Amino acid sequence: MSMDLDTRADIFVLGLLDEPTQAELDAALADDPAWAAAVARARDRLLPLDMTAVELPGAVSLWDRIAPRLGPAEPAAAPAAVRAVPAAPVVPANDAGPPRRWFTAGMAAAAGILAGVMLGGSWFSAEPVVIAVLMDASGNPTAVVEDFGAADARIRFVSAVEVPEGRQMQVWTLPSAEMGPVSLGLLAGAGGADLDPPRLPVPTDGQLYEITLEPAGGSPTGRPTGAILAKGLAAQQGA
Amino acid sequence: MKISAAAATDEAVDLSDALLRCARGDQQALRLILETEGGRLLGVAHRMLQRRELAEEAVQDCMVQIWRKAHQFRAADGSARGWIFAILRNRCLNILRSGQRLESVPPEDLTAMQDARLHASAAGLDGMSDRIALKDCLTRLEPAAQRAILLAYVGGFSQGEIAAIQAVPLGTCKSWIRRGLELLRGCLS
Repeated sequence: MSMDLDTRADIFVLGLLDEPTQAELDAALADDPAWAAAVARARDRLLPLDMTAVELPGAVSLWDRIAPRLGPAEPAAAPAAVRAVPAAPVVPANDAGPPRRWFTAGMAAAAGILAGVMLGGSWFSAEPVVIAVLMDASGNPTAVVEDFGAADARIRFVSAVEVPEGRQMQVWTLPSAEMGPVSLGLLAGAGGADLDPPRLPVPTDGQLYEITLEPAGGSPTGRPTGAILAKGLAAQQGA
Repeated sequence: MKISAAAATDEAVDLSDALLRCARGDQQALRLILETEGGRLLGVAHRMLQRRELAEEAVQDCMVQIWRKAHQFRAADGSARGWIFAILRNRCLNILRSGQRLESVPPEDLTAMQDARLHASAAGLDGMSDRIALKDCLTRLEPAAQRAILLAYVGGFSQGEIAAIQAVPLGTCKSWIRRGLELLRGCLS
């Protein structure tokens, strides 16, 4: 089905194409001037609809979380065993930007922490199946979860966290989309703890771990309900 | 008098200039964009995502993207504001389409979120000045086409979701949207 440039641009701006096509057309903006011009026209046609949204207060206070993420990102080497993502992905899936930019200062710091964990070696006797470095929204490492599988996991904080009065931190993992998020336990404070997870499938590479702020006593629904304090993806350890 | 979107934008603060300065590495220019556009960016994100923490995440990511992509902005093609809000919308859609990102939202909240998005989409034209040609042109469309376009743009719904909401086959929905967009362009030109 052929489609003229302007219709294609309109549909692209509405975000209605499937994700691979949307990503491909987004990448094409950088090197196809005619396409870029058609998309710019389409954006300006529909822009008045954005202006009908009510302005909300508090945007400027986000600056403190934005500023640390700016600046030229220097590629930093990370051990192959280490994989971590900031709580908010810097590069959306449909952005064909340079992948090296993922390695921000926060990543490098996380890598350093993990290296310390692994070199130190004296923390735990057993070898965890996975380690996840949990990052806050700005990409700063907040905590390290070591999951030994077999209903045994530990958490250690690597930066200070603020828990509001009446709230409690709860640690979660997502063993699979079917199971949904599962609680690994509630935390009394930010001093690190042995968690008390139920028996779950053996944790795997890339599995999601996160800490949310829940009402004291834990989530009333058994699923995360509060703000995400930090999250990260597991890196498989050992062979 | 009807005015076009491009003419109505970039007036108070020179956003084009701010983007140029961002491309040169001036963080104050990015902060200026946040100060002047932040409230509306947050509003657009909240209308689509319906949760404050997700909306804040989208705006933060959007600002970082603006910083990184500022060198790609070409003022000759269109308005700086159109470019900036497109980056935000893109980020919001990514959050909506990423199942994992919504994983921590409880099911009952997800239902409320969908309802609120539907409601916000229906109200998408509310508050738009009669002087904006887009309002007149959208109003002239078949109600089904107008609704589909608002669901997509304002609510961030996918084609499949829009077809389901309107209880029509996907192909019907697609042709409504396509025809609607063609009429809209004709009306606006």
